[in-house]
Amino acid sequence: MAKKQTVSFTLNGKAVDVVVEPRELLIHTLRERLQHTGPHIGCETSHCGACTVDLNGMSVKSCSVLTVQCQDAEVLTVEGFEQGGVLHALQEGFTTEHALQCGYCTPGMITRAYRLLKENPSPSDEDIRYWMAGNLCRCTGYQNIVKAVQYAAKKMSSAHA
Amino acid sequence: MAASTDAPARDSKLQGVGSSRLRKEDARFIRGKGTYIDDIKLPGMLFGAIVRSPYAHARIKSINKAKALAAPGVAAVLVAEDLKPVKLDWMPTIGGDVQAVLADRKVCFQMQEVAMVIATDRYSAADGADLVEVDYEELPAIVDPHKAMAPGAPVIREDIAGKDEVGHGKRTHPNHIFTWEAGDKDGTDAVFASAAVTVREEILNPRVHPCPLETCGCVASFDKVTGQLTVYLTSQAPHLVRTVVAMLSGIPESKIRIIGGDIGGGFGNKVPIYPGYVVAIVASIVTGVPIKWIESRIENISTTGFARDYHGVGELAADQDGRIKALRFTALADHGAFNSHVSASKLPAGLFSICTGSYDIPKAYCRVDAVYTNKAPGGVAYRCSLRVTEAVYLIERMVDVLAQKLGIDKAEIRRRNFVKAEKFPYTTSLGWTLDSGNYHAALDKVLKAVDYAGLRREQVQKRAKGELMGIGISTFTEIVGAGPTKVCDILGIGLFDSCDIRVNPTGSAIARLGTMSQGQGHATTYAQIIATELGLPSDEIQIEEGDTDKAPYGAGTWGSRSTPVGGAAAALAARKIRAKAHKIAAHLLEVGEGDLEWEVDRFKVKGNPAMAKTMKEIALAAHTGNIPAGMEQGLDGTEYYDPPNLTYPFGAYVCVVDIDRFTGETRVRRFYALDDCGTRINPMIIEGQIHGGLTEAFAVAFGQAIPFDENGNHLGNSLMDYFLPTAVETPHWETDHTVTPSPHHPIGAKGVAESPHVGGIPCFSNAVVDAFAHLGVTHMDMPHTAYRVWQQCKALGINKR
Amino acid sequence: MKIQVDKSYPMPCTAEVAWEFLQNLEAVAGCMPGAKITERVDAARYKGTVTLRVGPATMSFRGEVELQDVNPATRSLRLLGKGTDSTGTSGASLSLAARIEAATGGLCALAGTSEMSMSGKAATFGGRMMNTVADQILQQFADNFAGQVRALEAQRTAAAGGAPAPDAPVASVAPAGSRELNVLALAWAIFRDWLRRLFSTKAA
Repeated sequence: MAKKQTVSFTLNGKAVDVVVEPRELLIHTLRERLQHTGPHIGCETSHCGACTVDLNGMSVKSCSVLTVQCQDAEVLTVEGFEQGGVLHALQEGFTTEHALQCGYCTPGMITRAYRLLKENPSPSDEDIRYWMAGNLCRCTGYQNIVKAVQYAAKKMSSAHA
Repeated sequence: MAASTDAPARDSKLQGVGSSRLRKEDARFIRGKGTYIDDIKLPGMLFGAIVRSPYAHARIKSINKAKALAAPGVAAVLVAEDLKPVKLDWMPTIGGDVQAVLADRKVCFQMQEVAMVIATDRYSAADGADLVEVDYEELPAIVDPHKAMAPGAPVIREDIAGKDEVGHGKRTHPNHIFTWEAGDKDGTDAVFASAAVTVREEILNPRVHPCPLETCGCVASFDKVTGQLTVYLTSQAPHLVRTVVAMLSGIPESKIRIIGGDIGGGFGNKVPIYPGYVVAIVASIVTGVPIKWIESRIENISTTGFARDYHGVGELAADQDGRIKALRFTALADHGAFNSHVSASKLPAGLFSICTGSYDIPKAYCRVDAVYTNKAPGGVAYRCSLRVTEAVYLIERMVDVLAQKLGIDKAEIRRRNFVKAEKFPYTTSLGWTLDSGNYHAALDKVLKAVDYAGLRREQVQKRAKGELMGIGISTFTEIVGAGPTKVCDILGIGLFDSCDIRVNPTGSAIARLGTMSQGQGHATTYAQIIATELGLPSDEIQIEEGDTDKAPYGAGTWGSRSTPVGGAAAALAARKIRAKAHKIAAHLLEVGEGDLEWEVDRFKVKGNPAMAKTMKEIALAAHTGNIPAGMEQGLDGTEYYDPPNLTYPFGAYVCVVDIDRFTGETRVRRFYALDDCGTRINPMIIEGQIHGGLTEAFAVAFGQAIPFDENGNHLGNSLMDYFLPTAVETPHWETDHTVTPSPHHPIGAKGVAESPHVGGIPCFSNAVVDAFAHLGVTHMDMPHTAYRVWQQCKALGINKR
Repeated sequence: MKIQVDKSYPMPCTAEVAWEFLQNLEAVAGCMPGAKITERVDAARYKGTVTLRVGPATMSFRGEVELQDVNPATRSLRLLGKGTDSTGTSGASLSLAARIEAATGGLCALAGTSEMSMSGKAATFGGRMMNTVADQILQQFADNFAGQVRALEAQRTAAAGGAPAPDAPVASVAPAGSRELNVLALAWAIFRDWLRRLFSTKAA
């Protein structure tokens, strides 16, 4: 049995420390040690994207990251989007455009869309579909998710205008 | 009496039936604060990991737990022997069969449950599972259902070898489950014998799997002190599970609490009771601590309820004008190793006899022969409305086959055969009474919207250039809302449903129902129904489902039954409240009940509209002494609703595809879906359901399959192979509607969530076949992957430049 | 998931030496990369293990091997093997009809027809690779077998006082090659062969 290690990183702006075996996956650390059950588990082959988090400025499937790889990292999950009681434009967009039904893919979708809009603030519908191809949904058929991301893109760009 | 001028504004404020109001449940999901089963943590909780058989058919010679028990963190290892003292090694299924909870001396499908390792955390449990040593003696497996009833075929179910029936009539072979038929066989045969035209096709509905994004699981917690069993469960039918667990375990049902919380998609996958749940319950009883069991995706696809696997033969007899005179559909049904899927006890093949579709067919006969094979159990799942996907696929494909044979346009042949609007309620030759419909209007509206004539002209031009363009039509009639208790029961429990509403003194309300949302938006839509009935804003009506300690008894949510049955119960419970409120209003206003009329949210005195009492005012009064003499306080209503009939939503879909004859790739150029689900409670939510159901239909039609090799090895049980469409390949959906209310439903609503799946699959298939129709192709089996379509192009010699 | 393999490997020794070696099940097992006989149940039945490594992960199959129809006249025998991996998620079985055929120049060939089948995870995830993997494993086996019989031939020849066979290096009966089947090395060999086939002008 490999020796446990202490790993320190920032989660949604707060410093956290965990003691984990080297083989522990980030998704399990987030969900079980750090009580952040927003990111979900939908598969074990890294296809579904329900576990998507933002790690050091990149969208990452946390089921494919070892916690020991996250020393000093900045991790953002869906729980970190609402600031001071104000919803992020994406959260508002998802509910306004009815882009969720069972809600299971939603944290991963929002977290992925966040990074998408950071890198491409005015994506086309096709851009959105391509950039979010790593996040699966069974309920919505994606059409309203595309609309939700467009809603957020417009709101965020007019806020900057 | 003229309506007040402010009535529309007041009505709009309620956000009741017809409002596309935003969903109330979204608030927690967009924040990642849902409570799904894997989010549940209880003090002292242990984890279970299941040891599974690598063989599809084998005897278990021995199981050695020693190494596993010695592994760090492992608390217990349970095998069938450990379940025998509590008589839980075998359990009844909701299909009327029995199923092994943990394999007892033999395994009957690959990845069948053999043992469960209980440990302190999921990593230790997985390590422990690797260390359990099982000695197997492999047996020959039956994988092809056509070989299941061959003389001398290996016997799969030795446990029922002596039984000549398993709940549905006589068995003729050890691997036979049942034969079910409906209609007039002799009359139908006679029509076929003398018909001007007959067509016949062998049509496969391949085995697929619903694959909701959240897998199945539970947290079972038995309290040794109180004797109370609490199970948090991914279940679409919490009350049915509670009753079955009580029957199985001997614990009084009043001491069992099943809690369905947030569920990440059901689609029928979360209706059956899986062995993992039962072993977790036993483990909790034995250890006295909570036990969590959550399956992996591979376990989910390999062992939980699959869908379809119907090997069908469709036959139609018609006259030269394409008027169908008789229908004969038979199917060989592969149920896997146990008959475990949901089905009403009198309807083991579900609602398959809806296969006469939207058509006026004078004579019909259908038969389903079900067999066991060495594969995972299941059959009814995946938005199928209980085998309606299989039935509608057959009739919609065969109508196209008939059209091609006679050279009649595929829309025209449907018009000639539709049940006419004035004939409703219409009883089909297989015994279902379709409540309402207007098929001609729906089809006409769709064909106009897509410029059907223009599409056919374009197709002629494209064919002249050697290009493949297909137009698919699907005009389906659904049957949902199981159902009237005289026809529909599960293990004897009738398929009624219920609603219990309590209005509090300050005028808001809580309603609890026996259904169970897995994303359908019940917290919003039921509130809308009650809002319109009671005149209270839907924002102030809390909806609760899933906690069997609180919710009245119901059969859960599957087969699109929530709106037809639960929604009816909600409306009628609300009407009981309004009837009482009427009396209280009369008392408060000191008039007779007949002097009052209801308008939106209040009772007004006829001729003196200034004198009125709102429901809110009445709610307060109901909790005081100022009520009619002899009346009890409170403003509650409870309704247990036994529907008089099922409901029959319908639709007309058109799909346009362009197929690349060099690669076999199909591009869905356009998909136009018109649905009629009667009264529309929340158009936004309906549209979302249509998008989702069509996307799942797209997946089934174009890429999903559950393949096995000849030894019963699963060849595609992870997302590396099983096709779940991403945002990239999912087409753009166009939706439309007509409204033909159900005459027997209290608010005229029919339910809609499975319609897009039922109607979408044949629409896609019809489009693909239509692309090749001019080259003589009459049928192609799903899935229409690029490779399989390319093989068709190659067979026709058109795949090369 | 079944595959059938029909192969013949030339051996650098006489038919008698090869047949003698073939009947020594423990030594033959030693030629299979990663295989080891752990227990002799009786003259015809043995228990053993096969260990495969993929990087840091190890997969260990345990099972039984049975020798049947040993026929000195035709220098042939049948081998039946079956086992499951230690995590219980995969099963494998093999039936092999092996024979020594005389070849030109006093040498011989080891020929065999075998049917292999896999169950469980190995079939589901490894099924696609089976033919290529089987080819590679058998090639390694044949190479090890050849090495062993060459040494044995040299010993017999030396013992009989004759000149050593032309190509035979002077060697003792060395232990079989690698103790483990290294899957990454195997994967590289398979990839290399596939590339070779892509660019070769011969029919596949």
